[in-house]
Amino acid sequence: MELFFQQLINGLSLGALYALIAVGYTVVYGIVQLINFAHGEIFMVGAFGAFGTWMILGQPKDWSVAASLFILLPLMLLGGIVTSVAVALLTERFAYRPLRNAPRLAPLITAIGVSVFLQEFVRLFYGRIPGFPDAKSAIAFPAIPGISGESIQVGGVLIQMPAVFTIGALAVSTVFLWYFVNRTKTGRAMIATSQDADTARLMGIDVDKVIVAAFGVGAGLAAIAGVAHGLSYGNIDFRMGFLAGLKAFTAAVLGGIGNINGAVVGGLVLGIVEAMATTFIPGQFGSSAWKDVWAFVLLILVLVFRPQGLLGAKVVDRA
Amino acid sequence: MRVIISDQTKVQYRYPARAVGILGAVMVIVSIFLPWSYGQGALDDVGFTGAPSPLQMFVVILPVLVLVLLAIPLVGKQRLGKVAKVVAWNTSAKTASIATLVTVTIALAAIAIELKGLANVEIGGWLALIGAALAALATPFLPDSPEPTLERVKSPKWAQIVGIAVMMAAVLFAAAFALNQTDAGAFLTYLAFLVGVVLVLRQFGVMGWIGIAGANNNRVLVMSAFIVAFAFPFTQDGSDANMSIASQVLIFAAAALGLNIVVGLVGLLDLGYIAFLGAGAFTAAVLSESAFSTIDFHPPFIVTVLIAGAVSSLLGLLIGAPTLRVSGDYLAIVTLAFGEIFRITMNNLDGNDGPNVTNGSNGISGIPELNFFGFDFGEVHTILGVEIGRFANYYWLMLVVIALIIVVFMNLNYSRIGRGWVAIREDELAAEAMGVNTFALKLLAFAGGAFLAGVAGAVKAHHDVSVTPDQYVFLESAFLLAAVVLGGMGTVVGVLIGATILKLLPEKLRFFSDYRLLLFGLLMVIMMQFRPEGIIADERRQLEFHAEDEELAEEIEEELITHHAHLNPERKGFEL
Repeated sequence: MELFFQQLINGLSLGALYALIAVGYTVVYGIVQLINFAHGEIFMVGAFGAFGTWMILGQPKDWSVAASLFILLPLMLLGGIVTSVAVALLTERFAYRPLRNAPRLAPLITAIGVSVFLQEFVRLFYGRIPGFPDAKSAIAFPAIPGISGESIQVGGVLIQMPAVFTIGALAVSTVFLWYFVNRTKTGRAMIATSQDADTARLMGIDVDKVIVAAFGVGAGLAAIAGVAHGLSYGNIDFRMGFLAGLKAFTAAVLGGIGNINGAVVGGLVLGIVEAMATTFIPGQFGSSAWKDVWAFVLLILVLVFRPQGLLGAKVVDRA
Repeated sequence: MRVIISDQTKVQYRYPARAVGILGAVMVIVSIFLPWSYGQGALDDVGFTGAPSPLQMFVVILPVLVLVLLAIPLVGKQRLGKVAKVVAWNTSAKTASIATLVTVTIALAAIAIELKGLANVEIGGWLALIGAALAALATPFLPDSPEPTLERVKSPKWAQIVGIAVMMAAVLFAAAFALNQTDAGAFLTYLAFLVGVVLVLRQFGVMGWIGIAGANNNRVLVMSAFIVAFAFPFTQDGSDANMSIASQVLIFAAAALGLNIVVGLVGLLDLGYIAFLGAGAFTAAVLSESAFSTIDFHPPFIVTVLIAGAVSSLLGLLIGAPTLRVSGDYLAIVTLAFGEIFRITMNNLDGNDGPNVTNGSNGISGIPELNFFGFDFGEVHTILGVEIGRFANYYWLMLVVIALIIVVFMNLNYSRIGRGWVAIREDELAAEAMGVNTFALKLLAFAGGAFLAGVAGAVKAHHDVSVTPDQYVFLESAFLLAAVVLGGMGTVVGVLIGATILKLLPEKLRFFSDYRLLLFGLLMVIMMQFRPEGIIADERRQLEFHAEDEELAEEIEEELITHHAHLNPERKGFEL
């Protein structure tokens, strides 16, 4: 039973990471019906942005716990968010916006191109910034005193502090997101646009602005996920966005694409399924080498039996 | 920014423009008899040691074209008669002079980079640059010529066939020369020249005429294309370096053609297509007589190929049956996920995390050469005095495979199935309402495309000698898709061109291999913005991407009518 709870915690922390990224897919898809394939790279860029902020702050290593938690970490988060949002808005402006009315294949292929481009751009040019480490292989993410390497013991279950941070970040982000979507003018404009873009435009909503907002919100959350990833795994890599993005998309579909709550639920479910699969599937197929396979099998099963996702998608059938 | 020169100015300056253009062209032509660079280290020696270099002999064709295009109209419209009206003299002269300028600029840049510094460009190079710049500046002042109508001119059948033959011979010659350029700068210069010549010919109306001639003599065209492709190894003089690239291109092209059915004809976006190629390769590897093969069953290759194709198409059915009901974007991601599942599974079937089938990440190596009735693919054979090496053998085998694929593709295109596919692509709901069994047809496309990839994979396993899971990553799927998109979805020629470009360029331009993927990503984005229909556009698809362009719609309608009028002369066109 302890093993179960241990894996539940592991799964929740992994799932929280997926959920934070998945929101970006779902918000953008809900409004422009575009699978922003490059969203995984936005997540990656966020992590590198946070790392860059740490570098600019002079690589602080011996700050006190309080200073690290309340000054360093927020600054790194801010740096990551700014980088991610900037990159996301640039891609939206220059890659996706000109294709707003093109056949659906065009933006999807563009998204693949953007994804490859961003990965390579970070790989080739991150190390060219004076003083920055070469990004051609994984970079060690800075340890934040109070989070990295710390853990708490609850009963027989060991909870790593980075997991607490990730789950906490998801909780805070979800509350913020709920408030943003339901209580602010821009958020309501987003709902209206996702329901019917043309009518929303007739009602005086600036659809372009709404789309920019959707990309921005998704990128911000992805950057938080990037920092959480760095803290949990201890390193960041230019390739990390591909698999994480794919998983997060799976989470978004699992919860029902276009549905923000669904993305959160889907992310958590996916994380837990992955964690449980490595423990409770007997024999060789339960080894961690297969966990990605089980995640994708889940995606296929969901599409077969419940294509609208757990909480119901917006529109499913689109050519 | 586009500078627009008013028609009035053009009429006013037409004589000086022509004169300056001719002067510029002559300057470039003269320049090849002068050294372009100090020393012999650049572009395979353009230092003029006695005679112009072969590259210069090619490049000079562009200014000669400028000269000819500008000079012939001087003879006078009356004397030229009908010829004067059906081709576009001025606009193609403009294109030719701009192409000259681009080519010369690239050549000079290459000299400067290879010899470290612009100081190494000598008088000939500067003369060429100035001449090209003069011509490129002057020719836009010529009045625009009307659209060429050469393709409407009735020409005898023998002329058409000769035209096709000449074009094919030129293609063979151009391809052989391009592949022999080992110097990256020379290759780029030559490439710019080739693109320039093609653009000029298109502008002039020759391409349209060839297109009609080809459509009229479809069989001749296809046959001569294959003869040329077949003859290609004889131009290589037993060298394996280029044949290795060529055979890789063909394997890649065969897979791309399979993907073209799925993406181009039916409009299903498959991002995990490389998995089918991999499934075929692994099947063939496991069934081969390699020491690392894990199954004790080694049928002859003909059987293996069929099994490999069948395994791939079975996988296609397995993945297609559940996911083809949800259309569009979901399919893209599910196939992507499937590609990952395939790669991870192949990695895990190593005896440690699963049963041992593939030896995990080590893969299966030491796959023996193919042997058809005593013809060993690994050995060097001498045919007509030319040594035909290992890669040339595989090249010919792939040529046969591609020929089969193309024949199937062309016939499908005009069959009930093919029309059903296109109908699904255009509007699935409408197709279903018209009685097209959309699900079955989509599944057929998926399984059929997978079969072709499986066959290509089986040959690839023997060609590469070893099969490892990391050859079948997502990026390869993206490359295949890019070949289809870049060349032109739904067309055979386009996909072949796209596959050639994507495989050939990285091989020839190794000096920026580090930036290869960056440029690839950028190319995809730019292509989607400016020419989403690809290099060779499928007519229907071109309309799709430019829905609001009325002029283009009329143009294509007209083209379709004339085209079909040529195909069925007795019907005099058809009503659209």
